[in-house]
Amino acid sequence: MWRVLIVEDDAQMRDFFAASVSRCDRLELAASMGSVGEARAWLDNAKHHVDVVLVDLGLPDGSGLEVIRYARQLHPECEPLVISMFGDEDNVLASIEAGALGYIHKDSTPENVAETILEMKQGASPISPMIARRVLSKYLSMHATRWPAQLQQGPAALKNTASAMGDGQAGRNAPEPVLLSGKEQEVLELIARGFSYAETARLQGVSVHTVRTHIKSLYGKLAVHSKNEAVYEAVKLGLLPSYSSGRAN
Amino acid sequence: MPHCSSGFLSFIRLLGVSLWWLAMVSGVQAAPLQLTTAQATIEVDGKVQHFEATLPYVWDWWHRGARGHAEFEMSLPLQDIPKEPWFLYFLRLGNAYEVRLNGALLDSNGDLKTFDRDDYGQIPRLITIPVGLLRQDNLIQVRIRADHARRAGVASPWVGSHAEILPLYDAAYLQRVMGTRVVVIVSLLVGTIALALWWTQVNPTQPSGKQRDPLYLYAALAEYFWSLRVGSVLLESPPLSRFWWDILFIEALGIWVASMLMFSALAVGWRGRFSVVRLQRALAALLIAGIGCAVAAQWGYRGWLTWWYAGLGVVALPFVALYCWSALRNGSHLHRLVAAALAFNLLVGVRDWAVFRVQMTLGGNTLMRYSSVVFGVLLAYIVFTRFREASAQVRYLLSTMALQVAAKEQELQSSYERLELLAREQERVNERTRILRDLHDGVGSHISAAIRQLQSGRASNDEVLHTLRDSLDQIKLSIDAMHLPAGDVTGLLANLRYRLEPKLQAADIELLWDVDLIDPVERLDTVGMRHLQFMVLESLSNVLQHAHASTLRIEARAQGRWVVVRIADNGVGYDTTRPLRKGLLALHERAKTIGAALVIRSRAGETVVEITLA
Repeated sequence: MWRVLIVEDDAQMRDFFAASVSRCDRLELAASMGSVGEARAWLDNAKHHVDVVLVDLGLPDGSGLEVIRYARQLHPECEPLVISMFGDEDNVLASIEAGALGYIHKDSTPENVAETILEMKQGASPISPMIARRVLSKYLSMHATRWPAQLQQGPAALKNTASAMGDGQAGRNAPEPVLLSGKEQEVLELIARGFSYAETARLQGVSVHTVRTHIKSLYGKLAVHSKNEAVYEAVKLGLLPSYSSGRAN
Repeated sequence: MPHCSSGFLSFIRLLGVSLWWLAMVSGVQAAPLQLTTAQATIEVDGKVQHFEATLPYVWDWWHRGARGHAEFEMSLPLQDIPKEPWFLYFLRLGNAYEVRLNGALLDSNGDLKTFDRDDYGQIPRLITIPVGLLRQDNLIQVRIRADHARRAGVASPWVGSHAEILPLYDAAYLQRVMGTRVVVIVSLLVGTIALALWWTQVNPTQPSGKQRDPLYLYAALAEYFWSLRVGSVLLESPPLSRFWWDILFIEALGIWVASMLMFSALAVGWRGRFSVVRLQRALAALLIAGIGCAVAAQWGYRGWLTWWYAGLGVVALPFVALYCWSALRNGSHLHRLVAAALAFNLLVGVRDWAVFRVQMTLGGNTLMRYSSVVFGVLLAYIVFTRFREASAQVRYLLSTMALQVAAKEQELQSSYERLELLAREQERVNERTRILRDLHDGVGSHISAAIRQLQSGRASNDEVLHTLRDSLDQIKLSIDAMHLPAGDVTGLLANLRYRLEPKLQAADIELLWDVDLIDPVERLDTVGMRHLQFMVLESLSNVLQHAHASTLRIEARAQGRWVVVRIADNGVGYDTTRPLRKGLLALHERAKTIGAALVIRSRAGETVVEITLA
């Protein structure tokens, strides 16, 4: 049984999602509430255990993104899903970077809701072609801006830098970039071209499950990257002491 | 600059005083003996006259317009016969001459017989009397050839010792020859500098040919012709025949006057009633007439030349008067200086005219040769002033250039910002129009349809639900269209599939996806993308609602310059020739708007909608 927390300010919508969760015998409603404050308070309680958080982005006292970050921080094992009206790329991408692993449409049927939650717990994350395109270009630009010299020298240089970064040097320079494997890139490209998971899996000669896992791991990497990037930016702005100076002291 | 101006004026004053002094030198009387009477024998046109003449004998005074030969016999009684060489000095003698003392030839120059040949009468003559030639009673015989109107004659000679005569001769020679040489050299120098200025000081900002300042040219012309006019004194035998030389000599004066006046007018940008153009025309007419008058004078009609001189005066005098008047009233510094120079030269000219034409003095000197130098000084002043102004301007420009550039940049920046603002505003308006149209055509029509369905009470729950879901799909597609990069046909189709996937699955239609990765189509902007989205959506809706198809094939290919989107189904088909349904009409309309070719082929079992984008 997966325990689900629902944060949605529209009471009707909240009830719909709560009912959808309750109807599924593999899911259990942990709690439902309508504001960031209430969510934080609930999450602060160490006794509370949560596996899935359904979060609406537009909350009366703040953004659902805060809830996502907070939940990931206090309950790293939980998997947030964003409730989106349109599944539009800006909001979805921001949510993924905050730590969400998928999104769920407001106009879904009750069966859809439960299905999406369960699929995510089994390792699948939904992705639209437009989001795939954005994720792809985000990765490519990360490569281009962080390692332009290594890119010119070839993939070997990329790998060396990656391992060098791995032993704690990242804080001193740019945030540790997230690498996109060739397979992952191909998958993203096919999805961006409109192919379904099944078609992509067939074209790639892998199982649909593998394709879905790729997507989920990409989401995770993106969130890690964005966190590193935020730290990096903060250090640059002098908001945080840098790792190196911290060690020197 | 009052200091500078007073200095300049005092310079002019000093120059005038020294010229006056120089003129007076020739009249200084000394101790030696001067012979003032002679027995004259004059021969004009074969007629011979004998009489006692007073010296100096000015030929033109007694024989106006005629030419001839003359012999003068002067007696020179001496009490003591000198033991050293003596000297005989004539201020003027000619045009050709022969001097004998007691029958012995002392000196001769030129051809005594042939008229209008070389003129030796222009400079003072100093003749040595060897020891032993003088007696107690002496006879000096002077024979001359006198051309008409060439200031022929015999000055009253001086006789005396070296110490007595030489100072007189030297003084006359200094003024007549050396002074002239200096004036000629200075004039040639100034003229050449003026010509060089005219040639080199080109206005580079004028693209149409080289634009030069005529001020310098007039100065050069004035100086050159003045040196020719003055320098003729030094030429006993001119480089041209007498006929042409005389014409040139007369014209030189005209050109000098004309150039000086033009120079004066241009130097101050003359805007008086006697305009520069009128002055120029009058002077040009005079110069052309001058040639005729000079020729007429050669043929004996001296009156023509007099009229011509008068004409020169009629043009010059009023102009100078106006010029000086305007200078006095409200003239600039330079204007007053030029006016002073003009007035000064005019006065000197009147004096010279009085000396030569009225008094018919033999051996006098024109003072104008010196006074005209003032114009050379003025030219130098103008050039220096201009140079100083130009340097000051350059320094000013250099010092302000950075500021000006910055100001221009600022101006550019602000106009760029204004443009950008306008463009953004325009973009906002376009975007608003597009969204409103989307709302109207998509969500609006769906929601109103749902309302009608509910009001009629005939529609089932499912039907209303279907309509509302459609309207939500429309909104999603609208939002997607906003995010799609312009021209990305692949993205557009992929996204459409993603949004319609549930419907396709519900309709149990097998989808064959055959979409290539296509480079962005340049002609397709945001609005075009929305139109294309509508067209594909409309085609898919047709398949879903009416075709009863089991397979649907969506293709997109880049074929050279074209991009082809093809939607094919194996449904029942429809008659494309029938009066077009509303949906098909809209399809054609949108295709036309984005400049796409639309082909619809349909028969039972196969319907193809083909959109070709250029």
